[in-house]
Amino acid sequence: MQDFEDFVALRSQALLRTAYLLCGGDRGAAEDILQDVLMSMYGKWRRIRTSPEAYARAALANAAANRWRRRSRKPEAPLELGAVPTARGHEQQVVDADSVVRALAQLPKQMRAVLVLRFFDDLSEAETARALGCGIGTVKSQTSRGLSRMRELMGEQVLTWN
Amino acid sequence: MELKQAMEAATSELDVRPGFVGDVMAGGRRRHTRKLVTVTAVVALLAGVTTGVVLTRSTERSADPRLTAATTGPLAGDSEFIATASHLWSEAQKDEPWKRDEPVTEVSSKPNVFWTGQTPTGPAALVAQEVWVRTSEHPATLVGLVADGKVVNREIVLSEARDREAGLYRFGPVGDQYVVLTLGKTVSWSQNPKRGPDNRLTRTWASAPHDEDGVVFTVVPPEERPVFVRGDSVPQSDDFTQPTILTGDLQPDRPFVPHPGLGWEGQFCATAFPEQKNSWPGLKLQAVQHELQKRALLDYIVSWEATTDWSVCAWLPDGRYALMFESLGELYGALYQPDGTFSAPVVGGKAVKGEPAVLSLPDGQGTIVADANALVGPQEREHAWLAPSGTKEVTVRQKGVPKVIQLP
Repeated sequence: MQDFEDFVALRSQALLRTAYLLCGGDRGAAEDILQDVLMSMYGKWRRIRTSPEAYARAALANAAANRWRRRSRKPEAPLELGAVPTARGHEQQVVDADSVVRALAQLPKQMRAVLVLRFFDDLSEAETARALGCGIGTVKSQTSRGLSRMRELMGEQVLTWN
Repeated sequence: MELKQAMEAATSELDVRPGFVGDVMAGGRRRHTRKLVTVTAVVALLAGVTTGVVLTRSTERSADPRLTAATTGPLAGDSEFIATASHLWSEAQKDEPWKRDEPVTEVSSKPNVFWTGQTPTGPAALVAQEVWVRTSEHPATLVGLVADGKVVNREIVLSEARDREAGLYRFGPVGDQYVVLTLGKTVSWSQNPKRGPDNRLTRTWASAPHDEDGVVFTVVPPEERPVFVRGDSVPQSDDFTQPTILTGDLQPDRPFVPHPGLGWEGQFCATAFPEQKNSWPGLKLQAVQHELQKRALLDYIVSWEATTDWSVCAWLPDGRYALMFESLGELYGALYQPDGTFSAPVVGGKAVKGEPAVLSLPDGQGTIVADANALVGPQEREHAWLAPSGTKEVTVRQKGVPKVIQLP
């Protein structure tokens, strides 16, 4: 299982970033679902080793979508101040790194997942559809509406996309 | 800036915590080992080979007395019904694959009907059966209710977490019948909370102490908001902080389900982000709800319909921070000091689908007007706007159509 450990060591950071965006900026939830997804991959490694990254991203998207279902069953959480980390202090080209996370958090979960997988993880429409268990048409429409919403939400911080 | 670039900038400082890789490997190995042990045991059993693993596993039995207890309840002498219930229980395992939250790898004993009763829609039986699950090194108990000619629901009770058993089963044509296990405690239930002139809620509780059957049966229509509590005593009428009994069937069963109530989804902000702030307060909605429940202003949240997935935040003129949300068709809010301490609760009016949500804040801090996907107020702010104190009306543009809202 050395190759699985290598995968975890090498790819956890990137996957955490995907999970963070999928969770709308909830760092704790992102770590929780990532750890759960990776642990579940351990026993399936032989089957998924050819494309573990795709498997992990699909599993993260579904785990993030299901997250709110379990929320009401969890014990009371304490108040957390500053739960959303900032990336301020970077170069000035980053107008406001928080704002993209805040905007993503305002999107419906499926729309958010589509944008994260398509634009952050560079998945194709077909790969995104497979990961989310929906049709390519849904991915297209969610992408279109999601980008429009993001442009509105980001206000003066003009976003472009390829 | 490109969207991808913005996302990368927003996550550029994120990295996993120290020890994360080790935790994943240890956890994954533990889960996998458990699975291998089970597979080995099953294969060995099939081959008739007695291995050390099998001997070890087969000698450990669950200590749950329900697995062997004699049947109790009004129909305890009805052997035909008990046989029918056992048959339905076993058939359900053949017909339905285990669900995601049922990590059963092996069923290791015959089902035992430990309680029977008569309900308005026919006889019912509680069944227990020993199982092995991926998530535990010890045998667990599969407990469930057979009623209305089928297995209503079942629950896996881990031997190391028996205090977390829900022991609550809802059934009947309209879901108004409940069988609740007392589990050695007093089970209390309540319906129809009342709101007094001071906005505080009260509930009247009925209770059933632990008896020899250990089972409570009651009928409460869902619209009367039944709440069940298991504890050492009966809750006070104004106590909305007791841990309630929740079951999985009160959750939706698909990832993308439209939300109830106003149907909105997202975290909106009614004001701009203050220049001097470099992060959100990060309030957990559950914690905010708990503050209101402590003050008997918000009811118990025990059902899917009680929860929504939207909130509106606002930085207030006096430096405080407000959060507005919806629960059980009503609007609520809470004010917090900049250091995160709770400041004041707000109880709003009804949330009406298709109409903007309006919440007046105390101490002259203004009024939050929210309408998802609409442009609100003179600045045409997306989703929500904090109208300054004294504002009499606000224009809300939904899909370009202006609508003037009168403020209280």
